[in-house]
Amino acid sequence: MIKYLLIRMASALPTLLGMTIVAFAIVSLAPGDPIEQELRAMGIVPTVEDLNALRAKYGLDKPFIYRYLDWMSRAVQFDFGTSIATGRTVINEISLHFPATFTLAISALFGTILISLTLGIAAVASNQNTASFLRALTVVLVSIPSFWLALILIYIFVFYFGWARLVGDGSLRDLVLPVITLSLGSGAALGRVVYERIRAEMCEDYVRLAIAKGVSPAKILLRHITPRIIGPLATAWTNALGGLLGGAVIVESIFGWPGLGQLILQAISQRDFPIIQAYLVFMGLGFFITSLIADIIVIITDPQLRRKNSHE
Amino acid sequence: MVNALSVEELSLHANGQTLLDNVSFELAMGERKGLIGASGCGKSLSASAICGLLRPPLFIASGRIILDGRNILDFTQKEWRAVRGRHIFQIFQSPGTALTLAMRIGPQLLEAAEIAGVKNSKRTVLKALHDVELDEAITEFFPYQLSGGMKQRVLIAMALILRPRILIADEPTTGLDVLTEFEILSSLNTMIEETGASLLFISHDLRVVRNVAQRTLVMHEGRIVEETQTDMLMQSSHQHSKSLAKAAASLVRSC
Amino acid sequence: MNNLSAKKLNSVYQFILILKKHSGLSIGIFILFAFAFISLSPLFITYIEPNKMDLLARLSPPSNEHILGTDHLGRDVLSRFVAAIPVSLGAALFAMMVILAIALPWGLVAGIIGGRVDAIMMRMADIIMAFPTLIFALAIIGFMGASLEASIIGVAAAWWPSNARMIRALVLAAKEREFVRAARLAGASHLRIIFRHIMPQILPPLTVIISLETASVLLALSSLSFLGIGAQPPTPEWGAMLNEARPFFTQALHMLLVPGLAVTLAVLGLNLVGEGLRHILDQREPYKW
Ligand SMILES: Nc1ncnc2c1ncn2[C@@H]1O[C@H](COP(=O)(O)OP(=O)(O)OP(=O)(O)O)[C@@H](O)[C@H]1O
Ligand SMILES: [Mg+2]
Repeated sequence: MIKYLLIRMASALPTLLGMTIVAFAIVSLAPGDPIEQELRAMGIVPTVEDLNALRAKYGLDKPFIYRYLDWMSRAVQFDFGTSIATGRTVINEISLHFPATFTLAISALFGTILISLTLGIAAVASNQNTASFLRALTVVLVSIPSFWLALILIYIFVFYFGWARLVGDGSLRDLVLPVITLSLGSGAALGRVVYERIRAEMCEDYVRLAIAKGVSPAKILLRHITPRIIGPLATAWTNALGGLLGGAVIVESIFGWPGLGQLILQAISQRDFPIIQAYLVFMGLGFFITSLIADIIVIITDPQLRRKNSHE
Repeated sequence: MVNALSVEELSLHANGQTLLDNVSFELAMGERKGLIGASGCGKSLSASAICGLLRPPLFIASGRIILDGRNILDFTQKEWRAVRGRHIFQIFQSPGTALTLAMRIGPQLLEAAEIAGVKNSKRTVLKALHDVELDEAITEFFPYQLSGGMKQRVLIAMALILRPRILIADEPTTGLDVLTEFEILSSLNTMIEETGASLLFISHDLRVVRNVAQRTLVMHEGRIVEETQTDMLMQSSHQHSKSLAKAAASLVRSC
Repeated sequence: MNNLSAKKLNSVYQFILILKKHSGLSIGIFILFAFAFISLSPLFITYIEPNKMDLLARLSPPSNEHILGTDHLGRDVLSRFVAAIPVSLGAALFAMMVILAIALPWGLVAGIIGGRVDAIMMRMADIIMAFPTLIFALAIIGFMGASLEASIIGVAAAWWPSNARMIRALVLAAKEREFVRAARLAGASHLRIIFRHIMPQILPPLTVIISLETASVLLALSSLSFLGIGAQPPTPEWGAMLNEARPFFTQALHMLLVPGLAVTLAVLGLNLVGEGLRHILDQREPYKW
């Protein structure tokens, strides 16, 4: 088992390596010379000789692979350089904003799981009419853009009822509206996945036998179907985390939640490449790790796989 | 004699096709009846209809199925749950996919014992396994670790644990060798004698039916074409019954 | 001749039957047609010039002159909504075409050739899929500079791998079908197998994927415009219109409702069509308990 997990992680290494190459390539192949830009930002109009000298100093005249290895060797020590805009180290900026985004995304993930299970199981358990109502509701919820939903929630709960506030201080109370915004849409989308999964299993012969035995629906769902779908659902949920991390950018910018979203939007408008690069790496890494966790859950819940692995 | 089950003029349609046409037969209390017919004639469909396990596009166009004086076609899902398992149970034709893949055999049998309401469920399960010639160790196995015949026997063990008043066995011994087949049929017979259950034994193999049932229904293309003593089938004047009987006889000779 | 038109009538009739049975699908088709119709309406109706400012009529509520009111610069919201249809929907459709242009050959080749080629191609897709999609798009935009074109490229770059994976899965399923195997054994060429056997099989599920994915691409693109890193003002685009409405929406609710409803309805239309088609294709029925 442990051996298999190690193998699984080792097989993920090429992907990880590829991710760092992509993250590095996107920025280093960017049009516009960062040094020239930096100097311009400081109000200096450089000569060609100055530029070449500076490029040599920062190693920018070296070939791609050399610069990549150099960047990697610093990246593994969490050295991503300094922000062009603020002059602070990138890792400083990221670690300052990361906890807020992490809290938001994880809370939204729990919201998503909760909503998707509720909607999915309700749709399975309900009669024809309720089920079609739930299906319609799901499609509508999936179709509402989060930025619009956020503005509407703000209009209703902040301006109309005055139950929430807009400029918060990052306390738990201020988390409620952003989490609802983020998790409603993805919860509905995954609710459909939950429903489809259960429905697909309900078409299988083994469910027919359980019914013929006289097992109650709740027990069929819990004992017979759940072990079969929990792995795929774990994968779907962790995949949703990717969407939530992306959606966090939007929601943070609307609710003024002090996370990485604000930082990255600023970085894009100021073309602050080191920040963009580090942001991509960290988000990718976070998402990657959760996917790995989902994979492990899949392995643990599938008896066929489990046995094969414990015997290897 | 009181009927345990009676099917009255049952017609079953799907996509504009008539798959069962005016099927009527009775199953008396404690009676063992065979149902034979060529592949695709509608035997399994009849079994599904009796257990209320049809799904679209299949639907019952007309007819009644009477169980204990009540038409099961009017049952709510809750009423169905009350009769399934202890009252009526079916051993399905496809044992390969019938068991829950992600559950060990033990819990699946214990679940049946729990529904049957037996006192010492563990011992009941072990006894049933013994009756179908399976080792106790397989309670720890997942279905994929069993052979087709072993899965078949697990299903029969399940029926032995549930001890239903009406058992429908849809080709329960296909895929088994002759010896195991014999053992299983005798344990099935014993169970039925003990509990006084009724049995509808579906097969396309007359040899097997002869071991179990005194009377047999012959089905052809969705209709019941004949009902006779099983032993009399050879002498039947009916063309379809005759061909089935002849085929069985030639098989016996060639073995 | 007569026979032919009768056949045509029959298939039209059958189509109507399907629409009647699947109300979601018909609503979706209706919504999409409505958008197409409205986007063509400037050919027949003259709207107020979408970028014409009237600073005296800023933030005015719906009236006879401005049916959907005006925005913070006194521009007519209705004509901006209409002018935004080809931009918003057009960008989404174009992005989807780019995505398909990469994903379709990628998935087909990987699925049909299989083996090492498949492993390498899928690994490459996995690398990009390992990043959260919107964040990958953000990074691309960051590197190109904010513009509608950059956001289309960013979204396409982030969205194609998952599409390639789905197409590959369809190909693999189609490949296992009896007659395709037979054709392969009979030595038919790859191209022939693709066009004669695989394409016809994967086309229906592919239509489902396309409409659902276009919906998600439309959401992503309008989100980016909303964040100010997609379509730039004064381009009329729904997300960008909402972005401009942000400081004013408590005073002028119509500025919030019109573009928001526009995005929602367009996405809803695409989702309904996709879901409806999926429902028609999926024939299995569960057992009742
Ligand atoms: N879900 C379904 N939809 C439409 N037709 C069906 C369905 N299930 C079965 N049929 C049709 O009903 C007929 C009878 O099927 P059934 O399974 O009852 O045959 P059978 O007598 O049990 O045959 P076998 O001995 O091979 O098991 C077949 O012709 C089959 O094509
Ligand atoms: Mg059958």
